[in-house]
Amino acid sequence: MEQQDFSAKDSLQLIESMISKAQNRFNENGHLYLLWGWVILVCSITSFISVYFFSNYKNLMYVWMLTIPTVIYQMIYLARVKKSTAVQTYTDEINSKVWMVFVIMGFLVGIIIGRSGQPQLFNPLILALYGMPTFLSGVILKFVPLRIGAVSCWVLALVSVFIPYQFSFLLLAIAVITTWIVPGYLLRSRFKTQQG
Amino acid sequence: MFKDLDPILHSQLRLAVMSLLIGVKEAEFTFIKEKTGSTAGNLSVQISKLKDAGYVEVIKQFKDNYPQTICKITPAGINAFETYVKALQTYLPK
Repeated sequence: MEQQDFSAKDSLQLIESMISKAQNRFNENGHLYLLWGWVILVCSITSFISVYFFSNYKNLMYVWMLTIPTVIYQMIYLARVKKSTAVQTYTDEINSKVWMVFVIMGFLVGIIIGRSGQPQLFNPLILALYGMPTFLSGVILKFVPLRIGAVSCWVLALVSVFIPYQFSFLLLAIAVITTWIVPGYLLRSRFKTQQG
Repeated sequence: MFKDLDPILHSQLRLAVMSLLIGVKEAEFTFIKEKTGSTAGNLSVQISKLKDAGYVEVIKQFKDNYPQTICKITPAGINAFETYVKALQTYLPK
């Protein structure tokens, strides 16, 4: 592969084939979508049962503490993935930044809602916010199920302000199924197909 | 009017390496080797030439106690690549 006398047409063909080899890689295996999907599903259903059947609002925060070990696991997992990945595309980088923005926004919304004394607004706002990274990931990864999931999130966010607060936890559960769990399994099967 | 082609880039393997790196943030040596189908020795020599020209940055580090080489294109490399592609276009029939 060292000869100098190749034509302009050969050069362009080589450039084109190499660019497509690098960019057609699909690094998303859906693991974190599934992890977060199931964690939030468990948290939201437990919250609904606690609030609806036992009128227990005080212990809600303990259920959501399940997200702390999940974050720790995610950090370890991402560090390992970064080490074992042979190539990092701009797509991977942008996608991870989109989710980082969501985490920051979610954190800020949590604090703002906490200070505002209107906790019932938390679920509708989180649902609305949830749709943003999901939709953008769907665009970046060229993956339609994520975009459909994002739209369902926005619809559920709108519905959640018209129903009693307790039921918004059920909407959150539906949202994680449509935005994370279903696309997560589809991403996993797409990744396995590519690997196989 | 034919423009001169950058001799550093007008070599199949070096051009293949640059074309791979132009589309990604960074890539490991093993990834480049696999995609270009070259031998480790030849690839190493060609990457050194690209590094000497300032077109590629080479980062050597350890991953699980094994040496790992990561390559990324530099701004000078991006410029050279763009100039090369523009020059190539003057050779194509209009």
